[in-house]
Amino acid sequence: MKKIIFFLFVFFISNCFSQQSDFAHIDFTAADKRAKSYKSRNLLKLNQFTYKLTKGFKTDIEKFRVIYLWITSNVSNDYRLYALNKRKRDRFEKDSIKLLEWNSKFKKKLFKKLLRKKRTVCTGYAYLLKEMCSVVGIDAKIVNGFGRANGMEIDDLEYPNHSWNIVKLNNKWYLCDPTWASGTSYPEEGKFIFDYNNGFFLTEPNLFIFNHYPLYHEYSLLKSVPSIKEFAEKPLLYGNAFNLISEHISPAKMHHVIQKDSTFTFQYKLKEKIDLNKVKLIFVNAANENNIKPKVIIHNNILTVNHTFKKRGYYDVHLYFDKDIIATYVFKIIK
Amino acid sequence: MKTTKTISVNKSTFAFLGLILSILFFSNSFQAQEMEVKGVVKGKSESITEILSGATVYLKGTNDATSTNRKGEFTFPKKLKKGDVLVFSYLGYKRKQVKITEKTSFLSVVLLEDDNEMLGALNSNKRFKSKRLKQ
Repeated sequence: MKKIIFFLFVFFISNCFSQQSDFAHIDFTAADKRAKSYKSRNLLKLNQFTYKLTKGFKTDIEKFRVIYLWITSNVSNDYRLYALNKRKRDRFEKDSIKLLEWNSKFKKKLFKKLLRKKRTVCTGYAYLLKEMCSVVGIDAKIVNGFGRANGMEIDDLEYPNHSWNIVKLNNKWYLCDPTWASGTSYPEEGKFIFDYNNGFFLTEPNLFIFNHYPLYHEYSLLKSVPSIKEFAEKPLLYGNAFNLISEHISPAKMHHVIQKDSTFTFQYKLKEKIDLNKVKLIFVNAANENNIKPKVIIHNNILTVNHTFKKRGYYDVHLYFDKDIIATYVFKIIK
Repeated sequence: MKTTKTISVNKSTFAFLGLILSILFFSNSFQAQEMEVKGVVKGKSESITEILSGATVYLKGTNDATSTNRKGEFTFPKKLKKGDVLVFSYLGYKRKQVKITEKTSFLSVVLLEDDNEMLGALNSNKRFKSKRLKQ
């Protein structure tokens, strides 16, 4: 009996803590090199191109890696298409027939651009990934839902705004977001810069849920899914966070009201070792901005950051590892 | 005497086998008749049906494939036979499978638009600022 319980326990544990780490033993060097070296002016011959791109790779995980990396390093985010779609969707928000018509019209425009110019918006990335996977016999799905980026409030979460994928490898589903992995958009300047972020490749479901809330809960790949309200209240994580941490342990919320002179604890599970001297908190209030070296402990890859709030007031508190912004929290310190 | 008998049996067996073989050969060549398949691929949405250029056409279970040209037309690069299945796909449309019969030479395929919504949220590394601080 004890043995059975032990095995169940091991099985449970191995199921819980395994996403990217499932493939830690696989060397992606060859796959990445292939993805980087293949160019295609357009994607009109998607089928043949995908075969050529993945030729010689035996395992699904390697084929998937080549396809994923190729898409994220060659397909750019088209800000104009994004803005156009957003404008129309906002306008037709209350008129479902017009919205449907627009969606259909936009879809054609979108796929033409994607196949001819390799430019698109989220759903285009998700479609392309699914399509290229199906060419080599890998099962992938498009997931629509709420993507939470900077400045998004709960009011913005009325309509879905983002698409990503789940993919089945060795009979298990995994999460990925090819759009956000590809790079960063600068809306004011209307430009996009490729900057691959590996943090969105087979991301831990516990971390992914911080900024991806699927319309259908089962696509979160979580056993217990937070409510949409809980989702909106989570701390704000930036792209870098997905690269550097594998779990955001605490706090659970973004906004906090605490008493003066009390100590607050932030806790993260790290993917790899970091230089503790480079962990800093930046406090921003209406008057100024202060860099603070907090008390930091690291134990078993768990980073614990403690800070005692000395002054009353409102603060935006940003966690940085060196120059990379990781997370933002908001504090009201009372007497 | 015995020898002649054997020979005659052999002769008739040979003739019989020849007949069977030729029947098999002819019927086989009839069944396995290979044909060139051409066609056109269109996409249908709520409001409009239009040609699809760049649609993928492939033989199920193989990597023999082609794409439609600017007029939505294709000529499959490999001769096909009865029972083969061609798969048609294009981004944003539901894929369709067509079984080849003896009579297939020209296929007019209409793909139906799927109902997925087109969305886009931008990734941003811009630092958050509370509304309270923006005033």
